[in-house]
Amino acid sequence: MLEIDSLAFRYATSTTPSMSFSLTVEAGELVCLIGPSGAGKSTLLHLLAGFLQPGAGRIRVDGSPIELLPVAERPITIVFQQHNLFPHLDLYANVALGIAPSLSLDSDQRDAVDAAFARVDLDGLQRRKPGEVSGGQRQRAALARALVRARPVLLLDEAFGALGPAQRRELILLVKTLVTERRMAALMVSHQPRDARIAAERTAFVLDGRIAAIDSTGALLDTPELPAVRDYLGEL
Amino acid sequence: MIRGPVSAYPVLALLALVTLAPLAGLLGGGRLETADLAFWNSAYVWRALRFSLWQATLSTALSLAPAILVARALAHAGDFTGRAFVLRLFAVPLVVPAVVAVMGVVGVYGSQGWLPLGRSLYGLNGILLAHVFFNLPLAVRLLLPLWQSIPAHHWQLGEQLGFDVRQRWRHLEWPALREGLPGVALLVFMLCLTSFAVVLTLGGGPRSTTLEVAIYQSLRFDFDPPRAVILALLQLGLCVLVALATLRWQRLPEVEIDTAPILAGQHRRSRAALPLIMIAALFVALPLAALTLDALRGPALEMLGRPRLWRAAGISLAIGFCAAFVATLAGWLLLRTSADLARRGRAERAGWIETGASVVYVVPPLVLGTGYFVLLSPYVSPFDWVLPLVIGVNALMGLPFVIRCLGPALRQHQARHEWLCQSLGLRGWARWRWIDWPVLRRAFGLSAAMVCVLAMGDLGVIALFGSSDSTTLPLLLYQQLGAYRTDEAAVSAGLLLLLCLALFWLIERVIGGRDA
Repeated sequence: MLEIDSLAFRYATSTTPSMSFSLTVEAGELVCLIGPSGAGKSTLLHLLAGFLQPGAGRIRVDGSPIELLPVAERPITIVFQQHNLFPHLDLYANVALGIAPSLSLDSDQRDAVDAAFARVDLDGLQRRKPGEVSGGQRQRAALARALVRARPVLLLDEAFGALGPAQRRELILLVKTLVTERRMAALMVSHQPRDARIAAERTAFVLDGRIAAIDSTGALLDTPELPAVRDYLGEL
Repeated sequence: MIRGPVSAYPVLALLALVTLAPLAGLLGGGRLETADLAFWNSAYVWRALRFSLWQATLSTALSLAPAILVARALAHAGDFTGRAFVLRLFAVPLVVPAVVAVMGVVGVYGSQGWLPLGRSLYGLNGILLAHVFFNLPLAVRLLLPLWQSIPAHHWQLGEQLGFDVRQRWRHLEWPALREGLPGVALLVFMLCLTSFAVVLTLGGGPRSTTLEVAIYQSLRFDFDPPRAVILALLQLGLCVLVALATLRWQRLPEVEIDTAPILAGQHRRSRAALPLIMIAALFVALPLAALTLDALRGPALEMLGRPRLWRAAGISLAIGFCAAFVATLAGWLLLRTSADLARRGRAERAGWIETGASVVYVVPPLVLGTGYFVLLSPYVSPFDWVLPLVIGVNALMGLPFVIRCLGPALRQHQARHEWLCQSLGLRGWARWRWIDWPVLRRAFGLSAAMVCVLAMGDLGVIALFGSSDSTTLPLLLYQQLGAYRTDEAAVSAGLLLLLCLALFWLIERVIGGRDA
């Protein structure tokens, strides 16, 4: 379970007021974050991952605070929209990095990597370089690495934003199954309200550095109470 | 179908003529006899060849190894105070004439200098020091973008995956560096292989003569054109080999297309970075400081009253301006066509035009000079034609720089604005005045400033053919050094350095506009 409690942050160069986030995600739950660009969706993910230091507030994973832990020790995996893989390493090595940055794996670990490839339907592509596979396959490999890392929290930073509608749907459904299967708490940033409908029971609307609204996805998208959400969705 | 500008083709033809004619002169007109051919295999040629390669190899290694460390330090140090200053300082050696740099290096590391290194700098040690002075900062500036090409997400992933320093190097930095390192190494190697003024002033004895200097000596002192021809052909062959290797190594980096902004300095700062940068900055700054002090201590007032000095300065300025004009004009005429071709999707042909124009740098100036000597001497005295020759050769040598600097700017400009201009009916002078010039003047300014300063400080062909009527400032400086009038030389060097820096600044501002 991921608990975010009044997590505050302010960009040094920005004139906007300080951001402050509070949100709870259950284990096995995928929550989608939507909202206008610049609202702070990616900032929230980068605060959780530890790339940015919060000014105040708490992050707890399964009860223990993690906001002081170094990036590598946080029980979190993040998947970006691009550059998740190192172009000079084959897909196998890219996934194996999730277990050992030295790339020396024992046979159990090698089996784990192969199992992850099978789980994301990439079996047989282990020896390909990232440049030799499709964008969707690259993101599958990034998910395979998230699987072998086996951290309780998964963050998706517009991870499927560069893919076409059909591929995006396929990958979101895959993530949804993996999240339930592995009991991960997952947050997914997306620009497409459609993604939220496919992916998440609950969706949060981020505005001006705050969670302005959070509700079941259907309710938030179909009968929004907040005028800002209606403005964002536009067509209603 | 609308035809684009075709101005490149006559320019290319002219380029081919002025480069190939002297080469043909070398091959055919040298009137080589069998006795001359024995010279091929003489100990003298072998020694010059060995020394050329040996000093170029050492210079490249000694420039690149520290340059990698310094570029890495700059990439890791984040945004410290003085970063912009250090980067500007590293650009200065590009516009410092070689003879001037030699004096600075001797002023710091020579036996009378601040930090004497051994008994004498003349010979291999001095040559290496001067080459490192030029090429270390150049390599740093070329390598630094490789670090910036590492996507920010990769640094973040590295942090999340818990990479240590070694793994960061192995998975992030080395793969990025590997893409660009061979190209940079070959460029530095080529520059050191064809380096003339440095070897002429610091080497030159039988034990430390390169092919480039041997060509000069056989023409100017031994007056033995067949020997010069043989040496020039050998040097040309070497340079062509290096250029072919460069082509072979210019492979495309295998990366995902990047749209995310590159954020520098997201990772932890390294503690050794700042001292390392300081040392490198001192290495570049000290020779310049020593030279300035020597110039101020020299008989400046007396020297500045001499018409000879001002005459030499005037000739140098004229050479600089003319070469800059010719190179920039030729470059623009070439690039107009290639940018237009690139915009129409004929990138391959555009690439050929630009490569063709840049390929002249494969022919070292002294080889060209020898070729012209052989070609012209039956009809006219090359010594009477020295200024056009010097201007032409320097314009040729400056052309690759114009292509690299103006080319991308022009191509981007055409891609963005060509259709808009056509739809608005903007043509001719109005288009140049309101659209092309404001967008391109910065690149024009930088190109012209660079070629002008390179030509002004050049001691190459002018050393071959210079006479008392056509003495340029670098040649005067070299003569003063040869006559052991070190204090006078210091003043000339100070003046030359001042002129180069001031002119670079001025041309960049005047042509490039206020925000250049």
